[in-house]
Amino acid sequence: MRSFDNALVVPAIFWLIVFLGAPLGLVAVYSFWHTANYAIVPGFNWANYAHAMHDVYLWTGLRTVLIALQTTAIALLVGYPVAYYLARSVKRFRLALLMLVIAPLWTSYLVRTFAWMLILGRNGLVNAALMSAGLAAAPIEWLLYSKFAVTLALVHIYLPFMVLPIYAVLEKLDGRLIEAAGDLGASPWRIFLTIVLPLSMPGVVTGAIFVLVPAVGAFVTPELLGGPDANMIGNVIADQFGGTFEYPFGSALALLVIALVAVLVAVALRRGRLSFA
Amino acid sequence: MISARAASAVLAAWYWLVVAFLFAPLVVVVLFSLNDAEVSILPIRALSGRWYAMLMKDQTVLHALGNSLIVAVAAVVVSVLLGAPLAIGAHRHGGKVGRALVGFALAPMMIPALILGVSLLTLLNALNAQLSLVSVTLGHTLICLPYVVLVLDARLAGYDPRLDEAALDLGAGPLMLLWTITLPLLAPAITAAALLAFTLSFDDVVVAFFLTGRENTLPMTIWAMLRYGITPELNALAALTILVSALTALLAEMTLRNARSISAHPNLKETSS
Repeated sequence: MRSFDNALVVPAIFWLIVFLGAPLGLVAVYSFWHTANYAIVPGFNWANYAHAMHDVYLWTGLRTVLIALQTTAIALLVGYPVAYYLARSVKRFRLALLMLVIAPLWTSYLVRTFAWMLILGRNGLVNAALMSAGLAAAPIEWLLYSKFAVTLALVHIYLPFMVLPIYAVLEKLDGRLIEAAGDLGASPWRIFLTIVLPLSMPGVVTGAIFVLVPAVGAFVTPELLGGPDANMIGNVIADQFGGTFEYPFGSALALLVIALVAVLVAVALRRGRLSFA
Repeated sequence: MISARAASAVLAAWYWLVVAFLFAPLVVVVLFSLNDAEVSILPIRALSGRWYAMLMKDQTVLHALGNSLIVAVAAVVVSVLLGAPLAIGAHRHGGKVGRALVGFALAPMMIPALILGVSLLTLLNALNAQLSLVSVTLGHTLICLPYVVLVLDARLAGYDPRLDEAALDLGAGPLMLLWTITLPLLAPAITAAALLAFTLSFDDVVVAFFLTGRENTLPMTIWAMLRYGITPELNALAALTILVSALTALLAEMTLRNARSISAHPNLKETSS
């Protein structure tokens, strides 16, 4: 029986080693190689990593981290009350109301991204509304092709990832703790800050990671909604593998992103435990 | 001090505001897809289905749809064939090793899709392999497999191990146990996982961006069309993909809801919980 059960897991593990482990290993090796005449030449040097430290890439990296952190922070501020409402305040139709928040996750993020072009564009809905209300004389240009547009769309796309884990933790929270604190005279605000929020930290951390990881690696959203000043590291990596055929440099950047994600996740985990609920 | 009822009302208002924010872009796309005008700006002139009719005659779009369906079905089949045995094996193993196996299968979720795409591209390139729908499918298994494992692992948490013991005591072999007890009990979860994996593959553009050869999937076609700006036809296509994904997800949710309990007999369930 044991050997049969072991056999069950072998194919998937094998698959992941071949199609995830091997590619990542190759990327790690390539990151120390270089290109000459459009051919990839083996070797060992840190040149790609040194190149990645140039101003333009450092700024892009910094911008990527800022956009990702800002996206995560906004998603948390917007999503927490939603999760709290669903878990502690709603009496009827709770699952249906939860489904309403999660449903957009299952629609194409390409569509959810380009829809913002219709809303934020020069002739988009927001500008049309502002101008017809007399609030703007000319279309506001920074709405689209900007960091603002990228952040807004990323919050929109990944918000359900924040709500779900926080909801799962809050839903299991023992209501008697809140009652007891209330009976002992704590104000609702104090109850929230000293009981509810600390106990929900595993959900907050999980949600933050679920938003942060894809935001750091975002590529479609900045490609479509970002201007030159909202380029993210994902776009730079995509260029190395798409247009310029600089696999070794792209590999180094990809590894740096993985390292960055690992650091951010580790920092987040220090703040609380992960919860897959 | 604010009363509990006032706080609840504020939270409810916030909830509906956020739901409106989540749905607004989708509504806008659908609205413009039904607008008779050539350009996607207000005001809406007249409602018309002509952009949908145009889509139905667009050979590029129909061909890409076919490709997307082939890739999604293949990716789902492979992910389920790999993911279901892994989830079952890991669950039976239990303990730290079982958790580690599940964790390993979830690893691709922790790596941005962009990097999954470029690293697989690097491997295929080193092997001189042609990019085709097969390479896209390979990439999609990396996206789908973790979700299949996640859904099945959650479902298995409620699995009563005494069912296995009983079957083995009665002389069932491991294959018979798997085939007549475990898989039938997991069937709803497998269906749900397959449907969710389908939408993930059907909607992916990032992995496909790097692994597509000559044959385009539907999101890649949308991506290419976007270069010429947002046309009403594109809105119609987007609206249809929203519909497909939404229906698939709804079907998945209903399948899971209809199979609440995993125990074979009500009495068994009572004593085990």
